[in-house]
Amino acid sequence: MRAYKDLREFLSVLDEERQILRIHDQVFPEPDMAAAACALTRIEESPAIYFDKIAGFDSARVAMNVHGSWSNHALALGMEKDAPMRDQFFEFVRRFQLYPGALERVASAPWQETVVEKNINLYEMLPLFRLNRGDGGYFIDKACTISRDPDDWNNDDVENVGIYRLQVKGPNRLGIQTVPQHDIAIHMAHAEERGEDLPVALALGNEPIITLMGATPLLYTQLEYKMAAAMQGAPYKVVKTAKGLDVPWGAEYVLEGRVLCGQREAEGPFGEFPGYYSGCHKYPVIEIDRISHRKDPIYDAVYVGRPWTELDFLQAMTTSAPIFLQLKETFPEVIAVNALYTHGLVVIVSTKIRYGGFAKYVGLRLLTTTHGLGYAKVVIVVDEDVDPFDLNQVMWAISVKVNPAGDIVTIPNLSENLLDPACSPGGVVTKMIIDATTPVAPDRRGDYGEELDKPEHTDQWQTKLQALVKEMRK
Amino acid sequence: MTSPITNTPPTACPRCRSGPIGILGKSPVAGVWTIFGCSTCLYAWRSSEPEENVNPDKYPAAFRLRPEDLPNLAVVPPVRPRRSTS
Repeated sequence: MRAYKDLREFLSVLDEERQILRIHDQVFPEPDMAAAACALTRIEESPAIYFDKIAGFDSARVAMNVHGSWSNHALALGMEKDAPMRDQFFEFVRRFQLYPGALERVASAPWQETVVEKNINLYEMLPLFRLNRGDGGYFIDKACTISRDPDDWNNDDVENVGIYRLQVKGPNRLGIQTVPQHDIAIHMAHAEERGEDLPVALALGNEPIITLMGATPLLYTQLEYKMAAAMQGAPYKVVKTAKGLDVPWGAEYVLEGRVLCGQREAEGPFGEFPGYYSGCHKYPVIEIDRISHRKDPIYDAVYVGRPWTELDFLQAMTTSAPIFLQLKETFPEVIAVNALYTHGLVVIVSTKIRYGGFAKYVGLRLLTTTHGLGYAKVVIVVDEDVDPFDLNQVMWAISVKVNPAGDIVTIPNLSENLLDPACSPGGVVTKMIIDATTPVAPDRRGDYGEELDKPEHTDQWQTKLQALVKEMRK
Repeated sequence: MTSPITNTPPTACPRCRSGPIGILGKSPVAGVWTIFGCSTCLYAWRSSEPEENVNPDKYPAAFRLRPEDLPNLAVVPPVRPRRSTS
């Protein structure tokens, strides 16, 4: 475990680990920044990228792809950079269960160094840039949005830290996308019922753990800072704003404002996580009253394109772990869950089998987890000895253990996230469970004899050879 | 790749071909770019962007909007009714 105090410290670790490219040549906001970030997604174990000479800005700094590889993800968790995906999953799950960690409130933070309350112009103060050509404008897409419940203002456990897309629509005006499943939607609804604006703080450029927590579907009564503390093995340091919102100590920029009561305005389109544009809607509006920032602040953004991109790393273990824990509560036989694909639209679960037909129940239960209700559309269930993170093994299981006559279950007209383009009508889809486990009694189908095993001492040889290969490639 | 730098707003929005168009921001280093915004459909663009984002004639058909369709956009989430004070 490791607690990075801020984004800068993490970027310096990426420097040491040779996992960040620093580009000092001049780049234009469009199309260079998005093009470079998109290009990185095509490079194996892609590093982060950092720009410090952006045309038109005198001192802007932009970091992208900070979480954009399994190496960077491992380093964010304080693990060895070559930690296998499966190890990262189990470590993430282990720490997740240590909730709650502690919140540490301090009086001041570096982001309070410069404060602007007059003539705010986000277009000039932030190095914004268009990500995809059909985007309706410039989006802030990796900020933590912090809010409290107006009906329960002093209850820290229902304070919320979430990552929502924010379209800059005026010099101090933003649009925000929330869906009913988001905790901030509850805060916004309560504020609107009271006839009040909802105070919010937007923290940009954070250490890597709180960003992962902001992307994790926690319970309404779980505070992301306390989960971040559990994940980093140290109390999470925050500073209170004048309105009473807790903001990460390490943030680069903090924007304070209000979600305007009863207002909706055209927003979008935006290239979204399924790899499609989202279309336009009328979304709530935020007015910014104050911008605070560090000296020479670093703006952190995530490129969203056709998967895989950095966004898929932000939605990987953060999606898999909560599904796994909810599933395991009902079925202790469950071994691991891989919900890495497009925010868990496809989920692979490995499980021990209690008796014939059991795997289908595991799949059905997965559909009824909190995330399953709006995402999991295709669930693949594999045996306990199949690693759900190794697609070669998963495809083998599907190849030989599936007889479509009895192993495919489809359930029509279930709820689904509106952003899934396969929905018909919007928000409704047919879901499928693929039982790729070996049939066992009393489900006596197929002609399964003895499965091939590995030769004796294979594991010892693997350890020995891995060390030799590592040495050879140094 | 880039359009001429200008401080004069264009007359029509590349996306909805309506207006009026306002200046939303200017590059902190003077004269490099200007950001314009359409007050009808809220599209924003920077003068230095590729032409398909700044020129109404080159703007991709798939992303165009008609001003008359804007009032019909889905409202998400719906505005919550006020709680009764009685």
